[in-house]
Amino acid sequence: MRSLGLVWLSLRLGVLNALQYRVDFFIQLFQSVIGLGTALAAIAVVFSQTDELGGWTRDELVALVGVFFLVGGLVNVVIRPSMERLMEGVRLGTLDFTLTKPADAQILVSTRQVDVWRLVDVVLGSVVIVIAITRLGERVGVEHATAFGLVLIAGMAIIYSFLLVLATLAFWLVRLENILVIFATMYEAGRWPVGLYPPWLRLALTVVVPVAFAITVPVETLVGRLEPATLVTTVVLAVVFLVGSRWFWKFGLRHYTGASA
Amino acid sequence: MTAASIRVTDLRKTYQVPEREGGLRAAAGSIFRRSTKSVPAVAGITFDVSPGEIVGFLGPNGAGKTTTLKMLSGLLYPTSGEATALGHVPWRRETDFLRRMTLIMGQRNQLAWDIPVIDSFELNRAIYGVSRAEYNVRLDELVELLDVGDLVRKPVRNLSLGERMKCEIAGSLLHRPEMLFLDEPTIGLDVTMQRRIRSFIAEYNARTGATTLLTSHYMGDVEALCRRVIVIHHGSLLYDGDLTGLVERFAPRKTISIDLEPDQPALEPGVLAGLAGGPDAVVQHGAERVTLRVPRSETAAVTTRLLGRVAVRDLVVEEPPIDEVIDLVFAAGPSDAAERAETAAAQPVA
Repeated sequence: MRSLGLVWLSLRLGVLNALQYRVDFFIQLFQSVIGLGTALAAIAVVFSQTDELGGWTRDELVALVGVFFLVGGLVNVVIRPSMERLMEGVRLGTLDFTLTKPADAQILVSTRQVDVWRLVDVVLGSVVIVIAITRLGERVGVEHATAFGLVLIAGMAIIYSFLLVLATLAFWLVRLENILVIFATMYEAGRWPVGLYPPWLRLALTVVVPVAFAITVPVETLVGRLEPATLVTTVVLAVVFLVGSRWFWKFGLRHYTGASA
Repeated sequence: MTAASIRVTDLRKTYQVPEREGGLRAAAGSIFRRSTKSVPAVAGITFDVSPGEIVGFLGPNGAGKTTTLKMLSGLLYPTSGEATALGHVPWRRETDFLRRMTLIMGQRNQLAWDIPVIDSFELNRAIYGVSRAEYNVRLDELVELLDVGDLVRKPVRNLSLGERMKCEIAGSLLHRPEMLFLDEPTIGLDVTMQRRIRSFIAEYNARTGATTLLTSHYMGDVEALCRRVIVIHHGSLLYDGDLTGLVERFAPRKTISIDLEPDQPALEPGVLAGLAGGPDAVVQHGAERVTLRVPRSETAAVTTRLLGRVAVRDLVVEEPPIDEVIDLVFAAGPSDAAERAETAAAQPVA
């Protein structure tokens, strides 16, 4: 309970900080609309030639784009900026203050920075998902929607844990900003179902950078194509990732030396 | 006698620092083979601090002050050795310990940059679980003591360095810590602001009895606040005791300045040297002003001899300025510091 209160207050602070820069909203809106338009246009082009792409229909792919924006938005609102801030904190030594606080340092660093205007992506993604669901019609039942929600949360947990592990590496390798850029690049590949890619890339997107679990799997759940086994695997994997990343984070903390004054 | 607030036994911290020759070839080579070398930042120090004490940590840059402070505030794991603070091993970072102490660093800030100070305070209130009522009382008290009434509603980026520091301090004390680690709290501030912060720290200590460890490059801070100083150099403890003792040990000579009455026969150099106890003791010999530097124990005898022999208008006996003493301490390594200090003090400074 106390942790939740802390998350809320920390996020609130981040939002207040970000609200100082209103112009960013319009820039973000512009950027997001262009991005979404391009993604939908690509789907339109593909489906002007064919009715199906690797077993996926047009509406299913629209749903995928929606999830891509939703998850990407959620990652970019809090997780990515907070992880960047964490790595900067390790390099500059500003993490010192966080570590002297009688609160869970992982919670504090994970909610440190809020890029509030990225919520535009979350909103646009949600709208696209709703539109896709409407068009898919009766194929999406209540149980599918519930499972979708569950898998989405699990997928977010996996991505969060993955980014936390990457950021924790900063305790050993001090200059490491680029590692998050690599993640962003790999994330772009999630625009399309991972099944469309050659086996090696599919494997990479599932195991190395777990984008598949955050985007493809939730959409498969939504359209009712997911095997129950995969659902269970995803949830179990999320728990394993959360526990593992927390252990790694604590291990990394022992190696924190701070920047000397 | 209560138990010590801080107890440090043979504490060591060795950093592994990457090392390579300059130049492109070495840089390229180091991508694959990184050679490191061990740098002992703190090389085995032992001391106790009693509850309520204000102890000043002195040492040149890189002496190991900040590293020690960071180990005691739980930020760093030591390489070896033991320490307890408020009954806890600091680097276990137990909630009870963290709740009762604070770390303030003059060179870093923790307040969120773009929003009013008070919003950052609110987060600290939640982190430390301070009740609303208590928070309001403490905030009022700190606002008054530090004179930051109007400042707390301004965004941090609109504050001057001194104003920001005052707000940082207020934010770090909202949970009324019993132990303060202050790492150069007055760095970069103007003299008035330095004095203000000093008197605040003294006041906080008097009101709450908080044990305080302070590092500073400004001797003013140390003179004003710390009866006891710990001098660290190259990671080793060089001196631990009161400030006056430090002066006596490292600056064993006092300065005697005399203004002579103008209407009297000039003093022969030989005569003056005789009065001062040797030609080395004469620092300056003018027609109307004479400066001597004599061993502490002979100050009274020399003064008496002078007063009996010449007509004196004014006479002042002084300790060397503390800054100078510190210079002498740091000019040497741990082993020969005292010796070197002795020699250096004997050198006439024209």
